[in-house]
Amino acid sequence: MIRALLWFFIAYFIVAYGGRVLLLLTGVPALLRGLALRPFNDMPAPYSGFEPPVSVIVPASGDIATVIASVGTLLELDYPQYEIIVVCDDGAPGGLAALQEALQLQPFPEALWRRIPSGEVRTVYQSFLHDHLRVLDKEGFGRADALNAGINASRYPLICAIDPGLRVQREALQRLSEPFLEDPATIACMSHMRLDGAGALPRSLFRVLQIVEALPALVFRRVGWDALRSALPMPGDIVMLRKDVVVEANGFNAHSECEDTELALRLHRALRARGDRYEMRFLADPVAWTAGHQSTLAAIGPHRRWQHGFAQALRRNAALLTTGLARRPALPFMLFFESWGAAIEVAGYAFVIAMWAAGLIPAATAGAFLALAVSLGFLVSATALLLETLSTDLYPGLQQLARLAIVAVAENLGYRQLMTFARAAALAPRRRPTA
Amino acid sequence: MPGDSQVAFALAIAAGAFAASVSVLVIAAAVRAWRRWRQARIARVEVSWRQALGQAAADPSTGALAPISWIEFPDFLLLWNRMRRVLPGDGAANTAELLRRHGLDERALRLLRFGTLRSCLIAMATLGHLRYERAWPRLERLSRGRGPVTSFAAARAVLRIEPRRGLEALSHAILQRADWPVARLGSVLAELGPATVTPTLTTLLVSRPRGGLDRVVKLARFGDRNRIAPIMRGWLSATQDPNLVMAALDYVDDPQELMWAMEAARHPEWRVRMAAARALGRIGAAAEIPALVELLKDPVWWVRYHAAQAVAGLRGMTPEELQVVRETARDNFAADMLAHAFAELPIRRRRIFG
Repeated sequence: MIRALLWFFIAYFIVAYGGRVLLLLTGVPALLRGLALRPFNDMPAPYSGFEPPVSVIVPASGDIATVIASVGTLLELDYPQYEIIVVCDDGAPGGLAALQEALQLQPFPEALWRRIPSGEVRTVYQSFLHDHLRVLDKEGFGRADALNAGINASRYPLICAIDPGLRVQREALQRLSEPFLEDPATIACMSHMRLDGAGALPRSLFRVLQIVEALPALVFRRVGWDALRSALPMPGDIVMLRKDVVVEANGFNAHSECEDTELALRLHRALRARGDRYEMRFLADPVAWTAGHQSTLAAIGPHRRWQHGFAQALRRNAALLTTGLARRPALPFMLFFESWGAAIEVAGYAFVIAMWAAGLIPAATAGAFLALAVSLGFLVSATALLLETLSTDLYPGLQQLARLAIVAVAENLGYRQLMTFARAAALAPRRRPTA
Repeated sequence: MPGDSQVAFALAIAAGAFAASVSVLVIAAAVRAWRRWRQARIARVEVSWRQALGQAAADPSTGALAPISWIEFPDFLLLWNRMRRVLPGDGAANTAELLRRHGLDERALRLLRFGTLRSCLIAMATLGHLRYERAWPRLERLSRGRGPVTSFAAARAVLRIEPRRGLEALSHAILQRADWPVARLGSVLAELGPATVTPTLTTLLVSRPRGGLDRVVKLARFGDRNRIAPIMRGWLSATQDPNLVMAALDYVDDPQELMWAMEAARHPEWRVRMAAARALGRIGAAAEIPALVELLKDPVWWVRYHAAQAVAGLRGMTPEELQVVRETARDNFAADMLAHAFAELPIRRRRIFG
């Protein structure tokens, strides 16, 4: 029995991590093609007048000074036609007054079109300083509800939710909207924000650790999924969506902890069931930057939230296993290796350590198992570093590669396992806080 | 007790994975080292290229280029493509002369045959800008290829070399190639200018092809409006296709054509009603208010929105008259939408007049 279980865990690690390496390699042709096209992407794109206008929705939560600073950055975006809708709900106390002062807001008699359910919008404000900036004052029911209210007030065919606190590139909207121009079947385009410090790695070891962790999981694995036409948004993404499909799907789910992913899965389900052709694209080149987490403890929270929300979203859209997406490897892989994977990995570690402690397996067997887990993890990280070199090369030079490689070894000697434990714990059922 | 076979197997996989990781990192290091060497090499020669191009930009008979190796050649062409965009006056044409003088047009053509995807794309852009006639057959053949990126780059070069002939050769592809984004085609047509593109566009619009007409309708904005508009308006009496009627309504700009807008205001398709509202706002006057008030009650928000905008922008209406319309709107939807549109008026005026 012990032997059989050990074989199971060994096989699981090989399949899960081998699958991840294969997935990373699947994205190589697309990355190389992007590299060939880069000289032309660097040149300023002449606007043809076909660029679909974009409604940027900013859910104003947390520190209001950050929100105001973010709005300032968004007003500088380089795009022919866009509007900014700041949704200020009760989650930012005192925020409205500060916004009113900073942006010179005046009440506006907006004929709101309530296409999807959202909390009551009390007042719509128009900025006197910026014609394309409006602020909604509404009841607070969280980010998803704020986005739904923003969608109701939006006037343009593409929507893009941007959380405050990000450093968004000036050409972000242009780059995110490009797939919509290239292929009218595109319904979503996403890009992951990277940690600040392109060109030079941050000094802090923990920040470099976050970079090394994000490269395979949040960036290049999704380049692979993109090549397989199965990319899904993840927390920290900037996602541009076609509004009509979002409205048709009844907007973001206010009860989801991972609303972007849940909506994307719902769209996959609805459009596949209908037999429509559609595309969800992922851009490997970042369009926004963030400061990242300050400590390991701070990093655990988002991992747990993501894991719980993702598992919840998969459960809600389990019908995808029997509809079209099952023909693609994405959903089964995500279900077995991304969602349940954390629990199986933790079970594997716990089993081996417990058996060794009980004297049921020799130290050599436990050591071999741990060596297998660590070296497979290192292979995934190393492959991601190669892809980083081949594509964005945000941290060029041999010295930085050496530093990244050393941190990649360190990441697999404790940090990854710690995050896996946190994610596995998030899979345990819990009571929802009452509204 | 689990046997040695498990230990051996796990260790073998671990060793294999570790060896593969090290190999992958060595490849990454090699790529970075090669890239660094190449960048340093290009940086060294780029100074002299810039100098030569700068001299030639001022005077086409001056400026001389040192021999350029095959490795450096695509980077030189890329530099030229970038520089020519920002050179003032005849600078771009003068530097093109320098390239011709050194036989780099023929060399770019050879690059097209043997280069990588990156080199080929750079060569195509160069040949187009150089208007190198000898490259035409090869580029035209490439424009018929299956790959959207290469074929479109080749088509763009063909259009730059000889725009009219290029448009004739590519008109079928403009209609049929769904993998050539309309936005990119639009950029090319805008670059060529209305005088060049209008004959092809009018021919395509008149022929009303079964496939791809929607693309031509979108591209029609890059033609001469005076010549495109009569063809488009002709569709109002000749077709019931909502897409065509909607497109045609955007070209209605004479009060004599009011009847078409009034008829379209009752169309079952909401997008046509929305286009009708816009047209009524453009050409209508106070007499069209009853029709617009009907549109203000439309179940679709966008129709109401454009109808309200139309009312707010009607010719010859004083603010007092507009206020009367608003106060007499009995329908809640209509009243709300009019309030919205009137509040937007100052913003719209600011946008238009600065």
